[in-house]
Amino acid sequence: MLTHFSAALIFALCISVVFGITQRSAPKLMIRFGALCFVLLVGAVIAASWAMFLIKR
Amino acid sequence: MASPTQHVAQTVPGENSSFPLLVLLAGWLIPGGGHFLLGKWVRGLLLFAAILIMYVTGLALSGKVYVPNTGDLLDMLGFVGQLGTGLLYVLARVFGWGATSVITALGDYGTKFLTVGGLLNIIAAVDAHSLANGRKASL
Repeated sequence: MLTHFSAALIFALCISVVFGITQRSAPKLMIRFGALCFVLLVGAVIAASWAMFLIKR
Repeated sequence: MASPTQHVAQTVPGENSSFPLLVLLAGWLIPGGGHFLLGKWVRGLLLFAAILIMYVTGLALSGKVYVPNTGDLLDMLGFVGQLGTGLLYVLARVFGWGATSVITALGDYGTKFLTVGGLLNIIAAVDAHSLANGRKASL
């Protein structure tokens, strides 16, 4: 069964693949942009999680 | 110097052909289908896998499959988003896959997976269309 975090990882990965392919023309740039999107999405999830944890405390 | 009233004739390769429209339609009906038609096999396969994973995960999390004409604006927007998955949406409706209402938090996640998967497929289909009519460089 998926946890919230693993679901968020799959979500970020799929979005990054599509964004990478569709928003850049050259394969190398596609990989770089896809990786950037993935890092930003997962980073945002982790940051939001810590923010919610601190607000709750 | 060109005055503001003068128009520069700029032709885009493939603009007058019906092929880009076919590519757009194929890309909408089958995720990555437009890229397959253009011979971009790896990109097509990656797009197909990404959107299929979104769709299957959405169904596995008991995501809601929206139907048209419920009268709720958000439902209508959800329907439009999920319709973006093309034939996958038709399959979900025909076989009754997915939930009719959201019960759990993960079910809500599943609904977002299904809707965003549809929106991503529209982006992919438009990208294939841009490649077909020459608006996007094909490298």
